[in-house]
Amino acid sequence: MKPPDHRDLHSRNYPVSEDMTLQRKVWRFERWGWYAMVLLMGLTLAGLFSKGPLSSAEVRSADGQLRVEYQRYLRNGATDALVIHVQGRAREPLEVELSGALLQGFNVQMLQPQPLKASTAGDGMKVWVLSDNDGHAMLHVTLNSDGVGSFQTKVALASGASVGLSQFIYP
Amino acid sequence: MDSVLRAAAIYLVLLVLFKVAGRRTLAELTTFDLVLLMVIGEATQQALLGDDFSLTNAVMVIVTLIAIDIGFSLVKQRSTGFARVLDGGPTVLVEEGQVLHKRLKHARLDEGDILEAARSIQGLVEIRQIRFAILERNGKISVIPYE
Repeated sequence: MKPPDHRDLHSRNYPVSEDMTLQRKVWRFERWGWYAMVLLMGLTLAGLFSKGPLSSAEVRSADGQLRVEYQRYLRNGATDALVIHVQGRAREPLEVELSGALLQGFNVQMLQPQPLKASTAGDGMKVWVLSDNDGHAMLHVTLNSDGVGSFQTKVALASGASVGLSQFIYP
Repeated sequence: MDSVLRAAAIYLVLLVLFKVAGRRTLAELTTFDLVLLMVIGEATQQALLGDDFSLTNAVMVIVTLIAIDIGFSLVKQRSTGFARVLDGGPTVLVEEGQVLHKRLKHARLDEGDILEAARSIQGLVEIRQIRFAILERNGKISVIPYE
């Protein structure tokens, strides 16, 4: 660090011995720390730490039969929802398979509407939901994040349509 | 395991945040600062304990916090460099009746703060009556008048 030009910033030895070089570093640290805090607030508002434009995401399968709304970033202990939209034939049970790391990273708290039936499928689960008159069905999965790190989940339909989603849980 | 990690993480985060905030921030505790301090405490509590409200967890968290604190004070005792970085040193703000304006600016203070300390500690009302004013490590301003 270059020596200060101004006499005010030179070290004094009386009445106390000072280390102005260090003190100026401390002041600089305070200033940059403040910038970092403001930046962090901005990023939080933008959704880098869940719930915001950077975090809310949607994936769609190639044939358009499956659409999933989810959060890219989540926080350990917090509850969030996964919304699965399925298009199929009218008034028929549609099979939705959730596999991958979903059950390791999350606690499934609630499935709405209540599936017709559910079963385990490998490391994941399968649920059957009834479609409406237009062939549309929706499944709200309320998840409580209890893991930390990155989790990849695959949502698939019996018809073969599938989407993958990657979610990151902060500690 | 996680109670120790939680406590250590919170300790370090708070340490850095309050270093950024500077020594003056909570030194002169106004009513609002007191409320702010309590709100910070509330926000920290959840992260410290998680969803485990057992006696064991509380004891582990408290033990960790105090152990880290003692550990730091032991390191500070051995290494003056570490102590200087962690605690800072005193800074002269007024020298022989002259305000060192550059320093005030960096320390986010103004003459009013010095005069306030001068009035309350020494009963002085003007800067020129002050020989030295020193911003101490704990954020308080010491005022030394002319003999």
